[in-house]
Amino acid sequence: MIRFAARRLLLMVPTLWVIATLTFFMLRLAPGGPFLAERDIPKKAREAMSRRYGLDQPLGAQYLRFLGNAARLDLGPSYRRPALQVREILFQAFPVSLELGGLALGWALLTGGALGVLAAHRRNSWLDYLATSTSLLGVSIPNFVLGPLLVLVFSLRLYWFPPALWSGWDHKVLPVLTLSAVYTAYIARLTRAGMVETLGQDFVRTARAKGLSESRVVLAHALRPGLLPVVSYLGPATAGVVTGSVAVESIFAVPGLGRQLYTAAINRDYTVVLGAVLFYAALLLVLNLVVDLLYARLDPRVEEA
Amino acid sequence: MRVPFGAHGWIPGALAAAALCAAGCGPARPGAADGPRYFGRVSPPSGNVFRFNNGAEPEQLDPALMSGQPDGRIARALFEGLTVYHPGTLAPDAGQARSWDLSADGRIYTFHLRPEARWTDGSPVTARDFLWSWLRVLRPSTGSRYASLLFPVAGAEAFSKGTLSDSTRVGLAAPDDTTFVVTLNAPTPYFVFLTGFYSLLPVPRAAVERWGERWVRPEHIVSNGPFTFHEWRPGDRIVLEKNLRYWDAARVRLDRVECYAIEDLNTSMSLYRSGAVDWNPSGYVPTGYIPHLRRFADLSAGPFQGTYYYSMNVTRKPFDDPRVRLALNLALDRDAIANKLLRGTRAPWGNITPRGYPGYEAPAGYGHDPARARRLLAEAGYPGGRGMRRIEILITTSEDHRRIAEAIQGMWRSELGVDVAVSNQEWGSYLEATTSLRYDVARRSWLGDYLDPNTFLAALRGGDDNNRTGWADPGYDRLLDAAAAEPDPALRLEMLARAEAVALERGPILPIYHLRVYEMIKPYVRGLETNVLDIQELKYVWIDHSWRPGIGPAGARAAAAQARTSAPAATDGRAAAPAGARP
Repeated sequence: MIRFAARRLLLMVPTLWVIATLTFFMLRLAPGGPFLAERDIPKKAREAMSRRYGLDQPLGAQYLRFLGNAARLDLGPSYRRPALQVREILFQAFPVSLELGGLALGWALLTGGALGVLAAHRRNSWLDYLATSTSLLGVSIPNFVLGPLLVLVFSLRLYWFPPALWSGWDHKVLPVLTLSAVYTAYIARLTRAGMVETLGQDFVRTARAKGLSESRVVLAHALRPGLLPVVSYLGPATAGVVTGSVAVESIFAVPGLGRQLYTAAINRDYTVVLGAVLFYAALLLVLNLVVDLLYARLDPRVEEA
Repeated sequence: MRVPFGAHGWIPGALAAAALCAAGCGPARPGAADGPRYFGRVSPPSGNVFRFNNGAEPEQLDPALMSGQPDGRIARALFEGLTVYHPGTLAPDAGQARSWDLSADGRIYTFHLRPEARWTDGSPVTARDFLWSWLRVLRPSTGSRYASLLFPVAGAEAFSKGTLSDSTRVGLAAPDDTTFVVTLNAPTPYFVFLTGFYSLLPVPRAAVERWGERWVRPEHIVSNGPFTFHEWRPGDRIVLEKNLRYWDAARVRLDRVECYAIEDLNTSMSLYRSGAVDWNPSGYVPTGYIPHLRRFADLSAGPFQGTYYYSMNVTRKPFDDPRVRLALNLALDRDAIANKLLRGTRAPWGNITPRGYPGYEAPAGYGHDPARARRLLAEAGYPGGRGMRRIEILITTSEDHRRIAEAIQGMWRSELGVDVAVSNQEWGSYLEATTSLRYDVARRSWLGDYLDPNTFLAALRGGDDNNRTGWADPGYDRLLDAAAAEPDPALRLEMLARAEAVALERGPILPIYHLRVYEMIKPYVRGLETNVLDIQELKYVWIDHSWRPGIGPAGARAAAAQARTSAPAATDGRAAAPAGARP
């Protein structure tokens, strides 16, 4: 297991290098630049700013300098907001995205898991149909539709929760519900499928034959193997909630990393885009590794294989 | 700059608009059955706190480097120039200068600074601070977008362009701590107005030299305005607090200002409706909402010094032919665009300079004349549009830009038989295309910086970085030069009008409509007035905790404005009438 983890960690270095290189050159190929605006900077001033940030150097030299800085984990200041360092922006924004994503995933696991277990246990009952159709709804409604709907009902009609910003707990309810909807639905469906399969297996019949209570059969014996499909889904789901919340962050004005990356890309803020992409890439690689390790722990056959 | 929502921006936009409009149809809380109706909750915040959406996050908090409204609003709260603007009329009022004199020939301004003015570190604000700050704006190494504002100052243009290296030959002098002398090339009626503009705000030399670009961070910044920089949460908010060392602190009634960075227009409107913000500035009220919002008393509207236009790349065929450009101009039905398509939210406008400059007789713009347009096009060799290649209108991602472009596409097709395509590009690509002249026709807009036609006409000079049409006319440039050197103000405006007539006739740009200010202001907010440059001085803003439903915001604001002007000033006020002040 340790050798497996170490090998995967080492492989991350060339992967990150490829991602950084591709992002660097793609950014430079994109039209526009960090110092273009509706009101132009005088030519002399623009030249001075390019010199200040080394953008007057040949592309190769800029690339090597970027690699050197990235290796030292220092991407310098944002080109568009020079008073802020890139790492500062990342370290301020990422915890917000993480909190939003973590709460959304936690909520999705809790409600999706419970719905799935109930639906599987009461297969073909009204409860099953309700859970299935609810999860279908969750998958079908995109978050940029659900978000404004929740705002309409809970912020503008009932005045229960604020429609945007990120301060107290009440600011978090609507974005978390919006972001978690699709994951709740998937988790409910995966849990139901996993539990249905598990509940039909011999060891469950044996447990029942032993006279164990139904709740003990479900929770103590069937739940763990029944949740394996959910565990496989946890990797992409975690990556999705943490990195894929740009629309939700925009709808609810959440100052997360997705929003920073989006704005930086529009403004051609090269250093912030590169920093955010590298940060996300490293995060995804680590998350995938964690999920693989977790999967192996839950199902020893995987480890042996 | 506004950042578009994304490729599917119309879906959440439409949903949120429908949601907000539906929500807005209910009675506003608290009950406003008899009095004016308001859009959403109208409970004043507890305490003297003012919360508003500042839109895009400020890119720069260094006044010399900034160039946008969000940046400017913060700058004017943190720093104070020689003058400040009257909130309604924008006439320059005494700021760090308690008075100023103008020489008989109208070229030399002597500003008398307040001895009591202090930086937040306790040191006095001196004339040397202004001298250093203004020269810094002019230095190319600084990278100021607005260095040209100082070009009326003797020697400033040469210094800024590097042809003059001796800063003592620039017409700026600080003979003592409280006297700042500015020598102009020629009388410039709007010059005093510029002294309150954010680029010319003083900056603390010691902090700038010590901290470099990071001098504007809350932990390093030293400022001299009505508020101090308390907190900056990137992508979220900036928090300002009252500056107790400010010379006019007695007049500042807010203890705290929270400026949020919300770019999504629908989110901004939701926040306003829910009562989480007290002010949604112009630019953050979506056009589609405006007809619906007109029945609410907290919508504040007025003219704005801005023109929406289509710019043509005259370096490309067929736009190199002035007859083609004029034909395209005459085929535009501006009334249909502004009044029907945009439901009267804009004013149709065929001129480059917006209306409203006192003493300025703008030349007549071109109206809708399709018959003449067809004749001109035929003269140019394209009868009924035959022989003309397909032309492309370049827009940026926005529902309004698309609708306008499609309407114009229809007009040019049906009136002139011209084959027109609409091309949408995201912001960076659009800027690259317009600056490098890789387009046919592009949507653009220009916002005035000061109350003078020159702020619009100077951008069309040949070779000006903001021209972006490839058009250069020596006759036009000569008229602007002559106007800049003209001592007689009336004659000067006449020359500018002649220059505008040349630009309209030669037609590198097609003016379409005049912008308007639309903002949402809660009825308990006082001291915030809609004006033609959309400039607000937060020092005058306060929260009226005694406000009760039933009082219209307009009446209450008027009363507050009166109270403001009649309130005992903490200073001796303005001693000399500013040359550039106008109602």
